Amino acid sequence: MKCVIIGAGIAGVTAAETIKKINQDIDVVLIGKEQYLPYNRYRLTDYLCNVIDDTQLYFTSFDFFKKNNIKYRNGEYIKSINPAEKTIKYYHNEVMGYDKLLIATGGSQHLGPILKPFSQYIQSYYTLQDILLLKKFLPDIKHCVVYGENLSNLDLLAGLCNLDKKITYIIKGEKARFPLLKEEFEQDVHYFLKNKGIQCITNDKLVNIKKEKKKFTVETLNQKIIKTDIVFAWDDSKPNISLLEGTAIHKKTGILVNQYMETSEQDIFAAGDCAEIYHPILKNYWINFGWPNAREQGEIAGKNIAGEKALYQIHETLTFHLEGKPIKARWWE
Amino acid sequence: MNYKELTVRFCGIAGDGIVSSSRIISGACADAGLHVMVNDIYSAEIRGLGKSTSTIRFSGSKVYSMGDGINALVGLAQQESIDEIEDIREGGSVIYDSSSPADIPETESLASHIPPEVNGYGIPLKTLANQASGSNRGRNIVSMGALCHLYGLPKTIFINQIEKIFKRKGDKVVESNLTAFELGYEYCQNQYPLNNLFVMDKKAKPLQIISGNEAVAHGAMDCGLKFFAGYPITPATKIMEITAKELPKLNGWTIQVEDEIAAIGAVLGASFTGTRAMTATAGPGLSLMSELINLSVMAEISAVIVNVQRGGPATGLPTKVEQGDLNISLYGGAGDSPRVVMAPTCSKDCYTSIQAAFDLAEKYQTPVIFLSDLFLGQRLETDDIKRNINYKKSTRIKPTRQQLKNYQRYALTEDGVSPLIVPGEDGAFYSITGLAHNTAGNPNFESEVHLTMTQKRFRKFKSMVKDLPPVEIIGDADADIGIACWGSTYGAIFEGMQIARHNGVKTKMIKSIMIYPQDEESFKTFFASCKKIIVFEMNFQGQYAALLKSTYNIKPVEVHIPSVDPVSPAKIAAKIMEVNHELTQ
Repeated sequence: MKCVIIGAGIAGVTAAETIKKINQDIDVVLIGKEQYLPYNRYRLTDYLCNVIDDTQLYFTSFDFFKKNNIKYRNGEYIKSINPAEKTIKYYHNEVMGYDKLLIATGGSQHLGPILKPFSQYIQSYYTLQDILLLKKFLPDIKHCVVYGENLSNLDLLAGLCNLDKKITYIIKGEKARFPLLKEEFEQDVHYFLKNKGIQCITNDKLVNIKKEKKKFTVETLNQKIIKTDIVFAWDDSKPNISLLEGTAIHKKTGILVNQYMETSEQDIFAAGDCAEIYHPILKNYWINFGWPNAREQGEIAGKNIAGEKALYQIHETLTFHLEGKPIKARWWE
Repeated sequence: MNYKELTVRFCGIAGDGIVSSSRIISGACADAGLHVMVNDIYSAEIRGLGKSTSTIRFSGSKVYSMGDGINALVGLAQQESIDEIEDIREGGSVIYDSSSPADIPETESLASHIPPEVNGYGIPLKTLANQASGSNRGRNIVSMGALCHLYGLPKTIFINQIEKIFKRKGDKVVESNLTAFELGYEYCQNQYPLNNLFVMDKKAKPLQIISGNEAVAHGAMDCGLKFFAGYPITPATKIMEITAKELPKLNGWTIQVEDEIAAIGAVLGASFTGTRAMTATAGPGLSLMSELINLSVMAEISAVIVNVQRGGPATGLPTKVEQGDLNISLYGGAGDSPRVVMAPTCSKDCYTSIQAAFDLAEKYQTPVIFLSDLFLGQRLETDDIKRNINYKKSTRIKPTRQQLKNYQRYALTEDGVSPLIVPGEDGAFYSITGLAHNTAGNPNFESEVHLTMTQKRFRKFKSMVKDLPPVEIIGDADADIGIACWGSTYGAIFEGMQIARHNGVKTKMIKSIMIYPQDEESFKTFFASCKKIIVFEMNFQGQYAALLKSTYNIKPVEVHIPSVDPVSPAKIAAKIMEVNHELTQ
């Protein structure tokens, strides 16, 4: 049997390892769109700030793939799936067959219609490549503008503070509304930002970016003009499911799966931030995002692909830490 | 990552521009003062779409061999490039075309064979080439732009070279190639903004780039070659192409004859008239020439025969390298048939040694077999060759007036060399023959005369020793391990010695252009100073080792590499380490 896994994040890698643990005879191909070994995405800011080194960033090694006989194809994009013929097609038109397919493509940051025209001026902050580029540029950067209320913004803000950068943070409301579970944490976070000396512009929106030589000029809805060296901005995060176009695989925001991580198409599974899981109590689909959930979903998917019957138990919350303090986040809405 | 040296390989089929790609890169690097070596590998079939590769190694320091492995592979033909992946070093790159219009099965896809330790870069080469020129022809130039970005090479050196190379094809061609280069560069810059950096000395002066075959042809012409006869054969044909173009400008002649027998016949005829003459061939041609080389020995007619060796007996491996023609060069004649055998180690040697070959041939009235090989003859390399135009160290010794009164063409002399005039000169009435002859040149079959004349012919080779290019001792004088090699393997072995030294093992090498005769005293002294001797050569039998064993009574470790690819310095180093381990146990 040949199992193809699209996505080499924690969900995909865990699934690959699980399958091999159960049955060494299953051929496993793991496809990642980044050039690197799978890494701890949640530790990218630590890596940027030189808190951790390469060995702590990567959670696999070339030896891991050799030892487990997993074929890892890095730097590859899948552009389509053909469930009827059980094939996938790479960006370069290579066609690969599968017996079981796991989609674990995760999510990524998106720009809305207002910011999209300025995408070439916006520094993304999501992949290892982003971080490596930043490591190159950051010594020359003094002032940063940050816009967006995703949890990775919070991570970025903390990192930039640690690197002693001057930061202007544009917030849509009175306080940044990160997807946190309890409102008191919003207050804590707001004070955290203030105490760190971040200049917060509230009740405003970023609407225009211009580039003049190596500097940027940012304009807000309230006509504030800010000169800066770099702009970090995004509107929301979404599951990466464009490869599903043209298929009948059921989807909403993400790929719809049952608690066995099975999609509506036979022999196709999904796990991690790209999957919306059926919640038996709520009788609806939800995305359980984040690292621990993705790992667990990857394991469940791997077990089911390898022939076991495993059920994913819905978790209500995700806990992560901000400067040592545990914070509970809401589900991704 | 910062690089000071890179090895890049282009792989494709006929029409993909493999050779032109490497010529642009190597030319650009040489003009920027980088040291370069280029090796082309192509199929033996004249027709059809055989696979070909061109590998370019460039560095701020002198490059002696093609090294081990490659940093980047440009796979212009996907399926054909799959086998090349195993040569890529960890952290290396593969550039492949992501704009294939047709579906590619997994087994035939280059990308599917790239291991995770190597970075794959899918670039729409075809689409971008079409955008630049309206055809697929510029895919190689697009990939060059991509390479330039990925390794942080200076764009200007490529732009200048593209302009230089395509200038003769007109502005439109220059423009479309420059556009293709820019598109490749920009695409890669946008998709893969993180790149490496090639560190180079911006003040380095441009270097000359030349192949062994070119160096042989120019070296010969610069020392008075006036007549070349040959029959085309891979990998020697380039020499005739050059002499055909250049010799007429020097009031000389190049003739293409019907076969190699005619070629050596014509060379002997021309030489008989006092003209410096040469032919060039490969192993199969040398086989055909063997009888007339014997005539050259017997009649004592100067001739320079270049043998650009290729692989195997018979038709063998026409486009692969091997050092298998040493025995036929040394011993490939009926009777006791001494001839000079020389083997250059690099392009610079090709230039200077072919001039030394003419010196020996002319002065000592003997055939000289000049053993180049496919790798040395065809590879391009940068070298600081100082041209010796009108170079003539030695000429034929003319008879004195006294000697002319009773001219004896084969007069017995102390050094074995008989004064010589060309037919037609006053007092020059003599015959030459392949039959055994007396001092006057008349046929004579008496055993005593035959012995005397044989001794005379061999005596020349003893006398010659004072005129031989000197041997060089390279490496650590106090090393216990001594190395002997010959011809083009020198560079890889030299680099292998450096690797071994880096690992704490000292070695020394005796480098001699001369295979026969040799400066025997120098060899004896060298071998006596070694606890272990290793002889490396690229043939199955150990032909050079056999010569050294019989001449110097040594018992070397013999490393026979019947290789079809250039020798690997790492493997040489591994063998040295192994021998050192045995020595120290």
